[in-house]
Amino acid sequence: MKKWLAISLAMVLLLAQCVSPAAAEEFENKVLNVYNWGEYIDKQVITNFENEYKVRVNYSLFSSNEEMYTKLQSNASYDVIIPSDYMIERLIREKKLQPLDREIVTDLDNLTDSVKNLEYDPDNTWSVPYLWQNVGIVYDTTKIDPEKIEEAGWDIFQDPEYAGHTYMYDSERDAFMVAFKALGYSANTENPDEIQAAYEWLRNMDKAVRPSYVTDEVIDSMANGEKWLALVYSGDAAYILSENEDMGFCAPKQGTNIAVDAMVIPANASNPKLANYFINYILGYESSAMISEEVGYASPNAEVLAELSGPGGSYEGNDAYVPRSGNDKDEFFHDNETLRKQLSELWIKVKLHE
Amino acid sequence: MKKKKKFLSSGYLILVLLFIYLPIAYVVLFSFNDSKSMTKFTGFSLRWYENMFNDRTMLQSIYYTVLVAVISTVVSTIVGTVTAIGLSKAKKVIRSAVLEVNNLPVMNPDIVTAIGLMLLFVSAKVQLSLVTLILAHISFSIPYVILSIMPKLRQLDDNVAEAALDLGATPVQALTKVIIPQIYPAILSGALIAFSMSFDDFVISFFTAGVGINNISMYVYSMKRFNPSVNALSTLIVVVVTVILVLVNIISSRMSKERKKEENV
Repeated sequence: MKKWLAISLAMVLLLAQCVSPAAAEEFENKVLNVYNWGEYIDKQVITNFENEYKVRVNYSLFSSNEEMYTKLQSNASYDVIIPSDYMIERLIREKKLQPLDREIVTDLDNLTDSVKNLEYDPDNTWSVPYLWQNVGIVYDTTKIDPEKIEEAGWDIFQDPEYAGHTYMYDSERDAFMVAFKALGYSANTENPDEIQAAYEWLRNMDKAVRPSYVTDEVIDSMANGEKWLALVYSGDAAYILSENEDMGFCAPKQGTNIAVDAMVIPANASNPKLANYFINYILGYESSAMISEEVGYASPNAEVLAELSGPGGSYEGNDAYVPRSGNDKDEFFHDNETLRKQLSELWIKVKLHE
Repeated sequence: MKKKKKFLSSGYLILVLLFIYLPIAYVVLFSFNDSKSMTKFTGFSLRWYENMFNDRTMLQSIYYTVLVAVISTVVSTIVGTVTAIGLSKAKKVIRSAVLEVNNLPVMNPDIVTAIGLMLLFVSAKVQLSLVTLILAHISFSIPYVILSIMPKLRQLDDNVAEAALDLGATPVQALTKVIIPQIYPAILSGALIAFSMSFDDFVISFFTAGVGINNISMYVYSMKRFNPSVNALSTLIVVVVTVILVLVNIISSRMSKERKKEENV
């Protein structure tokens, strides 16, 4: 048995040696331009990739999809970009991407079902998920009964009992998503009556709980238990829950938004082949586990998800780490600039208590 | 009564100083925090410094920031000084016209300058790179240098330079030995403004930097989640800037002392 193991190990090593120098030679000293969100990777993964392929990764950062989009307009040539779902929808529509090379990107089978063949890219022609999450409520379990939250769902944001103890995420689409879902509409609705109803819902919320409108400072504040209730992305919630045992997470049954950041190759990439290798490398078990563990957002790799949330994993017993799947009411945002602007105007009115 | 007044005025001074320096002290304090929290101090550690020095992207951003700031400061100070001296000898119409034009970029919001520069580069088919970033920084720094030197030039007595020429100095000697020593403090302050403008610029850099080039501001701004390494980085910058300022002050006060001595002799 031992001998057999040794032999097979030797074979694997030999094989690895045969394979990797070929790949390494092909790309030696090439530069791969990667464009990603800031603080959204384990840096070791990049170093590992560089060592394996003998290349240099030139790593640039953006802080919003729109910012990244502006930069692309200047004809800057990146090899791999990691935008969100609705932005990929736009990039595909505007023919700014090139299809992935399925000969190289072979690890698609590892993808967990919830992030496979998503509606913005039905057969993963153009993109492969990098990390994903949904939106839910982080609450203080010592102050609020979990059953009550399960029961009320998003409507908890209209309960005057929590006046002064609530954070609302300051982003028009996320806030309106909450209202649309609470009322049983689609998060992408363009129906003026439904938008008006959601606006009224948010105004009532503003009156009832007087929330503090925050963005990423909510992460630190909830980890310190400063308020009882907050609208939070599950990836950030996973961090809050791991810092503060009293905090719980709930994705309401009324449905929520699922957000995926995925890897794509722009049409004007200078090293598309190496980009495909990079994407496949990130998809692999080891890289994906390192990234997901560092960032706290869910990995698209089914095995990694199971491992990190399972016994002994870094996110064992963390309700926020694995986004729920199988709820028909969960939706992606569609790229809709007119809707976004319309909601933005209404959202400002809500915040001004008009 | 007098004592009370003194107490009031020094109390006011302390308040103002606190207002300015408390945020910086806060940033420095939390760079030594043991946990990732930005609001709760859990213990002393140097882990964020270690983290910073292990983070290649972060170190690279420091490198680019310093490189761009130094080059753009040197170039814009030279260009700005020469322009200002030339303008001071030009006809009044030309001078006031050029100064008006010079004021435009200073008043213009950064975002307009940024997009303008980006469109210029793109339409001229220049690939955005480190060079375009440096060019952009030079272009927005020059007006500040000119603005800081012009008032000093106006105070100069034209006759001094002419006297130097009369006494046999070549024009270059008159420039370097007579005019520049007199406006030296203004050049220095212009250079300092240019340096600090370049050092902390985000908007213009974002639109004009090429692929893979981040400066410190771009790095910090793009963070999806905050991380106290940024505090460590800021602390380092505060220390460097303080040292530079102290050095500049010591050198210039020494120089003026020496000059006074020479004058007395």
